[in-house]
This record gives sequence, structure tokens and C-alpha cells, in this order.
Amino acid sequence: MQESELVQRLGTYIAGKMPGAQDVAVTEIARITGGASRQTYRFTLAWQEAGVARRRGMILRRDPADSLIDTERRVEFEAYRAFHGTDVPVPEMLWLEEGGEALGSPFFVAEEIAGFQAGTGPLWTAPYLDSLPALGRRKWSILGQIAQADPSALGLAAVLPATHPETVWRRELDHWEGVLDANETEPLPVIRGAIRWLRANPPPPAQKVAVVHGDYRTGNFLYDTEGGIHGILDWEMCHLGDPLEDLGWSFNPVWSFGREHPGGLLPRGEALAAWEAASGLTAEPSALKWWELFACVKGQAIWVSSAKTWLDGANRDPILVYPAWALINAQDLGALKVMGHL
Amino acid sequence: MTPAVPQVLADLAARVARNAAPQIPAAERAGELGLSALLLGLAAEMWDGAAERLVLENRGFRGLLAKGASVASTSALRQALETLASGGEASLRLSALQSANSSLRAGLIALQLDLEGRDDPPAKALEADVWRGLADAALRSRLSGSPV
Repeated sequence: MQESELVQRLGTYIAGKMPGAQDVAVTEIARITGGASRQTYRFTLAWQEAGVARRRGMILRRDPADSLIDTERRVEFEAYRAFHGTDVPVPEMLWLEEGGEALGSPFFVAEEIAGFQAGTGPLWTAPYLDSLPALGRRKWSILGQIAQADPSALGLAAVLPATHPETVWRRELDHWEGVLDANETEPLPVIRGAIRWLRANPPPPAQKVAVVHGDYRTGNFLYDTEGGIHGILDWEMCHLGDPLEDLGWSFNPVWSFGREHPGGLLPRGEALAAWEAASGLTAEPSALKWWELFACVKGQAIWVSSAKTWLDGANRDPILVYPAWALINAQDLGALKVMGHL
Repeated sequence: MTPAVPQVLADLAARVARNAAPQIPAAERAGELGLSALLLGLAAEMWDGAAERLVLENRGFRGLLAKGASVASTSALRQALETLASGGEASLRLSALQSANSSLRAGLIALQLDLEGRDDPPAKALEADVWRGLADAALRSRLSGSPV
């Protein structure tokens, strides 16, 4: 769809959702590059209301032809909506459309939280370098708050598939091993060995069934130069599960970005202390090791899916090649490190 | 590397040409060309050492499979490992080296499965050797900007 057509159709759609508004117009639209699983656009909505001209920055997240991560956009939308107004900062969700009539594929529209950075590009340079420890403490404190939250009270227990503390590890491992089976284009002895180890050494039952963000890593939030976080993003893999799953994912070696500390931010002990203080839970070392290795399996499943999607030809976005080239070997190294073979 | 470098370069060439058109929005052009440049840099880094890396990796894996054949617990596995271990590089084309590499990696998985089910010292020693061989291979393939 050409951008001019997207602007026109999006404007028509939003006008239908704002019966009190006149002269609704989508302006200043620009694609935000980097998303491999959703197409993301920033735009300004302009309209007249009771004779007053209004403007608001918004974000459009639309499914591409073939997404890297196969998820329901309702999950992402409801997760954002559940945490809006809590201590976990997220943008306000405005509209969700699950059909393809309006824009050709499912999408949602959210408020834009403007003025902050996302991604890791600027983080390792001034003026952010001095604030990395503070950013790290905030990052793992918020993750602890997500773990501490009650899924039922948030309304998410009614939206996300139920699970049980004793079996949640098996459900997750089965799922991501299935993704590997379906998408692997060459044999992966390191990750297959990791899977066998995980099955032979299951973790203890989860301390609770919690909301799991699913992709909680440095870069998936909006941050400032003082170590503040203003929006947790990318909830598309949100589910109910073991709260150690998010902690393990945040410690996945590939998310250290070649730097010394987890997430490239904070010594491991300090990160764990921040998470335990905020969550009221404990990160038992052997259980956490299980979820860290699981994170390597999950990561590899996503990276090989990326390669497979590109090879199948339905989506030839070059962003699908990057994880295949840059992360598959790195993820093997990460798994070897967690298993003590490096 | 998967997808194969020549395939990706062909796609990037078409993409760069398409972005030369004046009607492409500036932000979209910047995003596509920036990512294309990143991939071209990775391809450049991989290209020079790709054949040598695969030859060394395949040689190391064949050595492990030959050891595996001598301790395999079934004759079928022993035969399969011997066949893999006795092969050489029929061609130095990257696609041929990569194809051989995939077969050898599949053989290593079969060998690991056999070794992990056993407690005898030769099996345990070889199991450790296989992990060391896999770590060596991963380290040899590490790109300069690798996050790990």
C-alpha cells in the first residue's frame, strides 16, 4: 500500500472512531524502521473539536505480510491496556482493528510518548553512558513490578491462555522447540544439546503464574538521559508464565550487546537485587540458569524463523537477514556460555 | 551463512536500485539503505574467510565423527559416522562446503545423542570433546560486532 493511500485510509478509519471531531487528518507520517514483526509508523493526528484545533502524536502498529513473530495483535493491545495507569509505564492504547478491511491487515493505534529514545543505538555514547547503571536499576525494577502484578486484577487472566506453575516450563519449551522444528534450515547441534539438557533438568515449579512480557530487553523501552524509563514497548509475546522467564530473557548473553554487564547496563548481582526487591520473589540460581538457557533456545528459534521467512520469499525485508547473519552464531555462543562450555 | 550471501546481495542490489527512485519517502529510503549497508558490511567481513572457516570446521567435525565411530554403541551409527568422517571436500564452492557442513552437524547431533545416554569414560571424554569442537567452531565464526 502506497503511503498516500495509507494516510487517506487511516484518516477515514480514525474519523469513524471520533464522532465528535471534524476535519480529521493524518499528517507527518513516517515509518519507524527496525521492527521485524510489525510495521510501525509515527504520525500526528489533527482535528477540530468544538471549534478548537487539536493535534496529538500517535503510533500505528500494523502487521506486515509475513511477521517474524507470529502473535495475536490483541495480546499486545490488551497487555498495554492492562498496565496503562500502573507503575509500569506504557503508552495509552486507542484503537485495535483485527480485520483487514481498514488498512489491509490488522493494526492498532496508540498514543506517542514523545521526546525519548528507544533501541540501543544511542545508549553506548554520551550523554547516556553515565546513566547506564541507573537505567539498569530502573529496568530490572520495572521487570520486578511486572512479575509482582496480579494477572487477574489486571484483566489479563481472561485474555491470555492459562497455565500451571508445575508445567509452564514444558509448555514454553515445547512451543519454541516446535518453532525450531518448523523453521530450522540447517542442523543446530548446540541448541539441540541445550534442549536435551533443559528436558533432563527441569526447573522447580514457578513461584507464581505471572504476566511475562516475553521480550524484555534493553532497547525495548523509551528512556531518557537520566536513567528514566517512560514506556515499556513490544508486548507482542506477552503471556502468562514463570516470572523467571523474563529475567532469564533479560540475561540472554546476546542482549548484553558485547558489553560487560547483563543488558549492557548493570552488574548481574545488582540487577537481581533490583528485581527481587520489586517483585518480592527470589531468583533461585539453578532455576534462573534453566530460564537463561531456555532464553537461548527461544532466541535461536526466532533467529532461524527470520532466515526461513526470508528464504520462503513472502517477506524479503532485509531486517530479516540481520538476525540470521548476526545473531544465530552469537546465540550459539550465548548458549555455550550459559552451559559452561565456553 | 543462511540465507546465502549471493542470494542476499542480489536482493540488496535490487533494493538499492529501487531506492534511487525519487518518490520513495526519505525516512523509508534512509531505513532501507542503512540496513542494506549494515548487511553489506557483514557480507564483506564473512566473505574473505568463509571458505577457510568452513574447511577448518568440516575437518574438525570429521575428526570428532571418526572418534565417534570408534566408540559408537550401535553398528548402524558406527557405519553412518564412518561414512561422514571419511568424506572430503569434493568442491570448494561455498554452497558445497556449507552442504557438507550441514551433514556433519547432523552427524554430531546423532553422536551426542548416543554419548549422552552412556556413563563409560570414553563416551564422556568424547562428549566433552564434541562440546569443545562446537565451541571452537562458534568462536571461529564470531563476527567483529558479535554481541557475545
